[in-house]
Amino acid sequence: MIHVAGIDIGSTYSKAVLIDEHGNVVGRGVRRTGFKLAQASEAVFDELVANAGVARTDVTYVASTGYGRHTVPFRNTQLTELTAHAHAAVHLFPDTRTILDIGGQDIKAIRVDGDGRVKAFRLNDKCAAGTGAFLEKTARYLGLTTDDIGPYASRSTNPKPVSSVCAVFAESEVISHLASGVPAEDIMMGAMVALGGRAVQLMRRVGLEPGYMLTGGMTRNVAMIKALEENLKDTLRVAPDGLGQLNGALGAALLGLRRVQKLIAEGRPIAAVQTPADGEHAKRRRWSAIAVRRTEPCRGDGCSVATKLQPRPSAVAA
Amino acid sequence: MTTATLEHGPAGSAADAFDPRSEGQRLIKAWYADLEQANERRQPVANVFVMGNAIEILRAFDFKLVFPEINSLQTGVRKASEEYIRLSEDYGMSPDVCSYVKADVGLMLKENRHPAGNIPKASLAIASNMCGTFIKWAEIWERWLKTPTFVLDLPGQRAAGWQVRPGDAQHASDARWVEAQFTELIARCEAITGRKLDLDRLAEIEERVNRMVFHWNNVMRLNRACPAPYNAMLDGLTFIGIMNVYRGAEEGVEFMRRLDEHLQAKVARGEGRVADEHYRLIFSGTPCYVSMRRLVELFETWGGVFAYSDYLTFAAGGMDATDIVYDTSRPLESLAEVTALAAHRGLSNQFFAHERLAGQIRDYGADGVVFHGIKSCRFVSSGMADTREYLSRRLDVPTLYIESDLIDPRYWSDAQIKNRVDAFFEALHQRGGGPVGRKANEERRASA
Repeated sequence: MIHVAGIDIGSTYSKAVLIDEHGNVVGRGVRRTGFKLAQASEAVFDELVANAGVARTDVTYVASTGYGRHTVPFRNTQLTELTAHAHAAVHLFPDTRTILDIGGQDIKAIRVDGDGRVKAFRLNDKCAAGTGAFLEKTARYLGLTTDDIGPYASRSTNPKPVSSVCAVFAESEVISHLASGVPAEDIMMGAMVALGGRAVQLMRRVGLEPGYMLTGGMTRNVAMIKALEENLKDTLRVAPDGLGQLNGALGAALLGLRRVQKLIAEGRPIAAVQTPADGEHAKRRRWSAIAVRRTEPCRGDGCSVATKLQPRPSAVAA
Repeated sequence: MTTATLEHGPAGSAADAFDPRSEGQRLIKAWYADLEQANERRQPVANVFVMGNAIEILRAFDFKLVFPEINSLQTGVRKASEEYIRLSEDYGMSPDVCSYVKADVGLMLKENRHPAGNIPKASLAIASNMCGTFIKWAEIWERWLKTPTFVLDLPGQRAAGWQVRPGDAQHASDARWVEAQFTELIARCEAITGRKLDLDRLAEIEERVNRMVFHWNNVMRLNRACPAPYNAMLDGLTFIGIMNVYRGAEEGVEFMRRLDEHLQAKVARGEGRVADEHYRLIFSGTPCYVSMRRLVELFETWGGVFAYSDYLTFAAGGMDATDIVYDTSRPLESLAEVTALAAHRGLSNQFFAHERLAGQIRDYGADGVVFHGIKSCRFVSSGMADTREYLSRRLDVPTLYIESDLIDPRYWSDAQIKNRVDAFFEALHQRGGGPVGRKANEERRASA
């Protein structure tokens, strides 16, 4: 029995998906990432195997993705979340062509082809105004939790625009609106409209090709989807069964499964998923350029960073 | 043009022994050491920019040359730029001002103490309209240091698709306009130095530039080989430093000649900068000097090498065009003609880059183009969106846009840039590399 795990270590949440050899989802896990990334990956992996009802040793292969992909100590391979989201999106909805992923600290627009290959992508630059963090900050100021945002904003009848292009200055604008007596739900919805506008602008920059899909934690927010669709003037597909937030992890798992199938077909060994020894976490606590370099090489199959998805052309020639 | 240096053999033990990086560093160190003594020796000093600078005239008067842009980028290379930039911001400069300018203002606030040595006070500054900031920058020197400035007005490109050709009516008219300004500049130099211009001396300097440019063009062409013998955005930055600082000097000619030989030997051996070259890329835009080594490392981890960069053209003042050769029998007129031509080439390289880049993709067998926008100068990055669109949509060439700054380390975000670079290579990998690069790789493997 093959089980492949995809682990997406995002800036805000760590997500994990376990699939079987047919690509069916058999387990899932979601936790806040915090600042100890390696520990977060261990915790979400433990949650994943518990949810799936399998032992850790039953997992054949682990593919990591997200900003913290290099810090997953037990990974077999790693890939960026752009590749992962693209693959999962086309797997779920084959006619998907433009993907929007709103993450905690960044926002991505990805244009894909029919095989799930990335044709073009754009990410927001060094600004949080178009990200989930922007909404979280606004919600926190209004005394709301993340889960409250959607239902609360849905009550809005007259969204109050938040015009600032800077998340920090937008906060000042929210304070100003509150002081002027604007209802909180109108401010919250106004923030979503602003975020939606920036997100769709990013999608335009990769080229709007019909077959739109929204991924990431925002898929749980009905009001946000509505704001985006109004701006886009089209519908956005969302992964079923709550998989929207887990899309990156699913993509990593699917690409990991493809890799496993290839290794089996070639008769090559698959390294066992490791259990960290005591003190392993302590080595990987820092998140910095140096830490990235130190944890760069991934385990298994003798592959280097450049040999992640398939063997290199030279290896093939040899 | 003198072709004496062509008689040297292309490959040999001398070529192998030459280490361009350490020799380049030695020359830059020697240049700074020489500058440090200039005021004490009462030698005339001129501040010049790398584009549109009339270096040949200044050298004929034995001016010591200070390149404020190179001073600023050197603070970045030496990881000291933030200190200088913060000093200028503490003084009141806006964060939006070019970081080269701010590092230079910081240098003035530190009484010209640079990490490479003390920078002498200039008796003349040459600015030009090759960059709008040059003129404002020179005004700061005038206000702060009372440095007299001379602004060259160099005619730029009139419109997209319009190209000046040597000898046509427009070029002749532009050259006359430039020559008149040179005549005025010469009078200023004569007043400062108390000497008359020696035209034979000017011709000698131009002859050296001709030889240097000959080898420079060879160096550029040699990187069309697969694997590329050097990385245009790491090794190339050392080369261009020598090209600018030692233009018209015998040391510069010798460096370029030996570099040419060295690279020819590398190509003959099939030796590349990257041990296992997988992707050949073109870098468009200006470098991020503080993190260039890290950026190149991110690409080389994937077997990606920058085979060419348009920076090596425009930051060399447009001097690399093959038809730019001084006629030393009429040095002043020829200097004006070449300056007018080089100004066109240097400027158009940034603003109307579509077709030029498409040609370079073919010439260098590139699999993709990496655009680097900088916070310091939105102007220089302004054409990138159009060019990127053209390459992606019309030519189906994969492109990547990353953003940081020339020398301000606060704009470098390692995790974000690494994510973009990794995603770019994953996409390249999925499509099996670019058609040209892939073909070149296949041929190389077949012949191996």
